[in-house]
Amino acid sequence: MIEIKNLCAGYNKTAVLKDVSLNIAQSSFCAIIGKNGAGKSALLKTLCGLLTPFSGKILINGQNPFSLSKAELSKIIAFMPQNIEFSLPFSVRDFIMFGRYPYMNFFKIPSEKDYEIVKRTMKFTETESFADRNIDELSGGERQRVLIAQTIVQETDFLIFDEPTSHLDIGGQTEIFEILGILNKETGKTVIVAMHDLNAAGEFCDSLILLDGGRVKNAGTPEEVLNYKDIEEVYNTTVIVKTNPISGKPYIIPYKK
Amino acid sequence: MALCAKFKSPLCQQARRFCGGKISLAFLALFILFILSFFFDLSSGSNDISFVNCVKALFGSGENDAVLIIKSIRLPRVLAAAIVGAGLAASGCVFQGILRNPLAEPFTLGVSGGAAFGASLALLLKLSSVSVFFVPFCSFCGSFISVSAVYILSGQKRFDSNAMILSGVVMSYIFSSAVMLVYSLFSAAQIQAAFIWIMGDFSAVDERLLFAAGAVIIAGTIFLCLSGNVVNAVSLGSEKSKTIGVEAERAVKIIFLTASLIAACAASVCGVIGFIGLMTPHIMRKIIGANHFALIPASALLGASFLPFCDAIARTVFAPSMLPVGVITGIFGGIFFMFLLTRNKKS
Repeated sequence: MIEIKNLCAGYNKTAVLKDVSLNIAQSSFCAIIGKNGAGKSALLKTLCGLLTPFSGKILINGQNPFSLSKAELSKIIAFMPQNIEFSLPFSVRDFIMFGRYPYMNFFKIPSEKDYEIVKRTMKFTETESFADRNIDELSGGERQRVLIAQTIVQETDFLIFDEPTSHLDIGGQTEIFEILGILNKETGKTVIVAMHDLNAAGEFCDSLILLDGGRVKNAGTPEEVLNYKDIEEVYNTTVIVKTNPISGKPYIIPYKK
Repeated sequence: MALCAKFKSPLCQQARRFCGGKISLAFLALFILFILSFFFDLSSGSNDISFVNCVKALFGSGENDAVLIIKSIRLPRVLAAAIVGAGLAASGCVFQGILRNPLAEPFTLGVSGGAAFGASLALLLKLSSVSVFFVPFCSFCGSFISVSAVYILSGQKRFDSNAMILSGVVMSYIFSSAVMLVYSLFSAAQIQAAFIWIMGDFSAVDERLLFAAGAVIIAGTIFLCLSGNVVNAVSLGSEKSKTIGVEAERAVKIIFLTASLIAACAASVCGVIGFIGLMTPHIMRKIIGANHFALIPASALLGASFLPFCDAIARTVFAPSMLPVGVITGIFGGIFFMFLLTRNKKS
């Protein structure tokens, strides 16, 4: 369980998050939505200890993440940043292994168990077919799966993804969310995803947090959050909210004025 | 049984995972290359000593003349070339990793400018006639000043890779302008020695100096070889490396200082030998991949083979006059690298 109370945080000295209070339940699949610059990334980075809050309180399972060392925190929360550099041609297998670093000694030598977990995770994320290829030779969808595998091998209770499906087509996007969904359902891990696609958020996630200008506009189930009033206000546009006839989840279509 | 138990340690396990693949083959080839290049350099020179006599002399048998030449004149030089080659290649490799920049090399972050300035000043002011150690000492001081400046400048930007490269480039410019300033104040004849030093030269390697600087370079290189996995983590960028529990800033600091120390010691022994630190990691990366756990030692081995080879060429091509070895590394390495680049495009 993540509890955030009156959190103010941001980059350098400008506050991006202004007085954010929210709870994220254990084992939920939570989407953080909002406009560009609404504070989605800042919120995720503060949770992972990458940004230090100006004021307010964060508790992760009752613990203050800033009282823990980086190594301890990285056994509780795993983070997949928006951009990761692919300048060096690591093999997929080696690249996924980097996620096991929190469990290794100073010189980061993997143990038999680490190899075992990497193998299992590659099977789960269906990355084993290109395990020996280099990451700079992969397609966009394969690359995102490898990044997700790297985050999963960290074996943390909380997994945080910053726009894991940007630049992916609808098939690639669905694939990624199914992997995260299975992870959430079968292992009970808390998955938090920042994203732009409201329909995917409504379809795959069980709780939504709508941020606007560094504040929480609305939080709750997809049905509660994806109402035309809030969406029109936040995104400054006109939309129609419909219900998916099969899953029963809300979806949003824009409307030309 | 004791040996078996030893091989169960995690380090050996990771090493063993490479065995059986092309990586162990590459290491074997590199080792053979190193031995060949070592004796090639040892046997080439103005006195004709055959390869076999060379090996004999090294182990103390054979003609007295040959033993004397090999042991007291050529061996220190060849050892210096091998050690410096290994050190520069290893530090080039870690710089490319931690800075995530393929153009980085040991001298990118300002070591060369400072070293060249210090040594030039010592040579032109004739401090070398006071003691042979003055040139290396001044060169090391120059590097120290330059590296400290880069450290302080980039420390304000939390050792961000771009900030480090920019401050390195700035310091290099300042010092190379200072070198030009000093040169413009002296006559052409006086400049010659300093100019040759800047291009890299093994002819004046002092044994006592080699012992001290060599020990530092070897220790530093071993440390870098062992830190390969940390370099891997840092090369993912600071956001990811922090969330997998690696204190990226601290790691960058330690690795930067170690690699700079190696480069500064290398420069104080034999001047600024460019290109080897840039190119050897690229060559090895194309052959064995980017995992720094294997890449750093492999680059070091290639550097230790390549520099003695270039040194042998530098001594023999225009014998009896010797070329600065930095010229040879640039030309040979450049051509070989071009070949490697074009070959990869076809496949």
